[in-house]
Amino acid sequence: MSNLMLVLIVLGLGAVGFVLGRSRAMSVAGGDRRKLHSLPVYYAAHVGLNTIVPALLLLFGWMIVQPMIINSSVSGMIPASAIEEGGNLSLLMSDVRRVAEGLDIAVTQGAMTVSEATNLSADADNVRDKLAAVGVALGSDVTTDTLHAAQRYRAMAATGNLWKSIVAIGAALIGMAVALRLTAVAFRARNVVERGILMVLIAAASIAVLTTLGIVLSLIFNTVEFFQLYPASDFFFSLSWNPSFSGRGGGSELGILPLLWGTLYISFIALLVAVPIGLFAAIYLSEYASNPVRSFAKPLLELLAGIPTIVYGLFALLTVGPMLVSVFGDNGALGVGWMQGGTAVMTAGLVMGIMLIPFVSSLSDDIINAVPQSMRDGSLGLGATHSETVRQVILPAALPGIVGAILLAASRAIGETMIVVLGAGAAARLSMNPFDAMTTVTAKIVSQLTGDSDFASPEALVAFALGITLFVITLGLNVIALFIVRKYREQYE
Amino acid sequence: MEDMIQMDRAMSTEQDIKISANGVQVYYGENHAIKDVNVEIQDKMVTAFIGPSGCGKSTFLRCINRMNDTIDICRVEGDIRIDGEDIYDARVDPVQLRAKVGMVFQKPNPFPKSIYDNVAYGPKIHGLARNKAELDEIVEKALRRGAIWDEVKDRLHAPGTGLSGGQQQRLCIARAVATEPEVLLMDEPCSALDPIATAQVEELIDELRQNYSVVIVTHSMQQAARVSQRTAFFHLGNLVEFGDTDKIFTNPEDPRTESYISGRIG
Ligand SMILES: Nc1ncnc2c1ncn2[C@@H]1O[C@H](COP(=O)(O)OP(=O)(O)O)[C@@H](O)[C@H]1O
Ligand SMILES: [Mg+2]
Repeated sequence: MSNLMLVLIVLGLGAVGFVLGRSRAMSVAGGDRRKLHSLPVYYAAHVGLNTIVPALLLLFGWMIVQPMIINSSVSGMIPASAIEEGGNLSLLMSDVRRVAEGLDIAVTQGAMTVSEATNLSADADNVRDKLAAVGVALGSDVTTDTLHAAQRYRAMAATGNLWKSIVAIGAALIGMAVALRLTAVAFRARNVVERGILMVLIAAASIAVLTTLGIVLSLIFNTVEFFQLYPASDFFFSLSWNPSFSGRGGGSELGILPLLWGTLYISFIALLVAVPIGLFAAIYLSEYASNPVRSFAKPLLELLAGIPTIVYGLFALLTVGPMLVSVFGDNGALGVGWMQGGTAVMTAGLVMGIMLIPFVSSLSDDIINAVPQSMRDGSLGLGATHSETVRQVILPAALPGIVGAILLAASRAIGETMIVVLGAGAAARLSMNPFDAMTTVTAKIVSQLTGDSDFASPEALVAFALGITLFVITLGLNVIALFIVRKYREQYE
Repeated sequence: MEDMIQMDRAMSTEQDIKISANGVQVYYGENHAIKDVNVEIQDKMVTAFIGPSGCGKSTFLRCINRMNDTIDICRVEGDIRIDGEDIYDARVDPVQLRAKVGMVFQKPNPFPKSIYDNVAYGPKIHGLARNKAELDEIVEKALRRGAIWDEVKDRLHAPGTGLSGGQQQRLCIARAVATEPEVLLMDEPCSALDPIATAQVEELIDELRQNYSVVIVTHSMQQAARVSQRTAFFHLGNLVEFGDTDKIFTNPEDPRTESYISGRIG
């Protein structure tokens, strides 16, 4: 029985339980719902939940545990000689699983009978061709060992699946029976159901928290591993970034400072573009624009936020870069020769700034709008002009929120990758010239992990150290931003 | 009391009329909110606007300092004069007008600035002080007029939003007074205050009468009776009755006024 089928059956039983629970509640109350502690629907939900939740939990637990048990038992069957031939155990095991799945498919498609499938022999039948005929392509011929293991795998999976179905459906039925027995006039079904729902909500919330925790922990472990291979002081204080290509190993210089410098320089230019433009746009939209203009322009501006960053990257590479070169390059309009190629801090910064405009403007617009009308009235009523009101009352009142918006934009800028990869170049360099190519932490994480990398080498593990540094910086910015924004909200409540 | 009113009346010659409105109509889009209102408001006196909610009291009040200009869909017709000068004349700058006609709102709305800066805001904008010392003086005078000086003199640089509701409202009155207005408009200034704060503000209004012409919108008839000398009763956009407060409350002419005052409409 497939898992989906099982889930559907359990849910179906739950529905049955719901109906039974309701009628049982009504019957114990003698048809008078006022005698019950809770509304009948709570008794129904109580039975339904008792049917579904334990059964599904068991089912999911089983689905996780069963493959682990089968894997360990089957891999124990494979002789050491076969492992040497096949490269390593995990490759062999994946072959075994593929063969087992292929046989299952062959049986369901009717290409083999059940007994044919169980009695195949690796020498007599060409298993590879037979499986290829049903659409399962194998990398190599199937050896006797593999076939045996696969047969064993199938047998264990079959019994496992049978028991899984029995256990899941049994749990559903037992849950239903217990809940029905508990149904009585004085039973506090509402409280129990509400506690159950609370559990579901808590579980949902913990998934988010646990995932974050998991990510952070994996970053930390890998970073610790990196620092065992490469001295932390060099990582944080070395002025050069010069990884040797993996394979050769040794001799890499993995200093974060040039990358951090590139990151901060590009982000700074981006904010220099985004903050004034975004803020002025927000002031125009929230204070001066008429309703039709506002309802047209605001979504249009927010559309900028929906453009994938790779598109901005192309824009940087193909349009902005060449344009800047034609002005600041060797033969450019200004004849200053500051810029050697299209990829530069300036290119990436300008384009990233454009990308950030909607972040700044949209958030600032909301914040300016949140300044109560009574502030405006108060100021206008004293004979201030509109622009005096904006400058002296509204912006100061909105300032903390706007600072929060800018910090959020900054943390976006620091984490941005695609625009940098395409617009700023790949050279890690400590330079003041904004027309030089530089690179950032994120771009280097990408380049350290793409291609054939050996995950045990410092050249690959450095990515985690870079990642966690970036994470700490953006986390810090976000915390400060949220703190400021929240403090600002309280001001008017 | 009766005598005083007689005296007031005797004194109300042409010069004493501060604001005169003739045939004022206000529309919010299609909604005709003020219908042909004529009223003459005297100087150095408190005039109360009463009436059921939605009858247009605030709307009419906002005509007097052209705050309705800030509402897009609002259209004002007719003629409103302050000291004989048409305030809707094209040559009149509403910004200047609002310095002359101060306004206090229903909910205290101090700016999120210090107490000092709240009061100094208007004078700074209108360039009323030549230097810091003068500004200090203006702020102190305004706060004294707002009857809040003693409570805040030691914390002028604390945020105005940190005061209690009643203190905030008196701060707002002080803020309005600081620009040296001639008329003070108050839109339900006590509706967000507790009884003690209300009593303080009412006392203040009575003092302000010495220097300003005060127009107050209130939904409390007791308050109108306590603080005002003239009362205007609005109903569905019409000015139903206007006259001495005592007369309106003891011997109204219009049956609608009578039923509102005795609590039958409202
Ligand atoms: N800003 C506005 N936009 C549209 N209609 C308004 C606005 N302000 C008031 N009105 C309308 O004008 C009428 C009078 O309102 P208002 O002057 O606030 O009454 P009051 O202050 O006496 O309670 C009401 O019908 C109200 O709906
Ligand atoms: Mg009102």
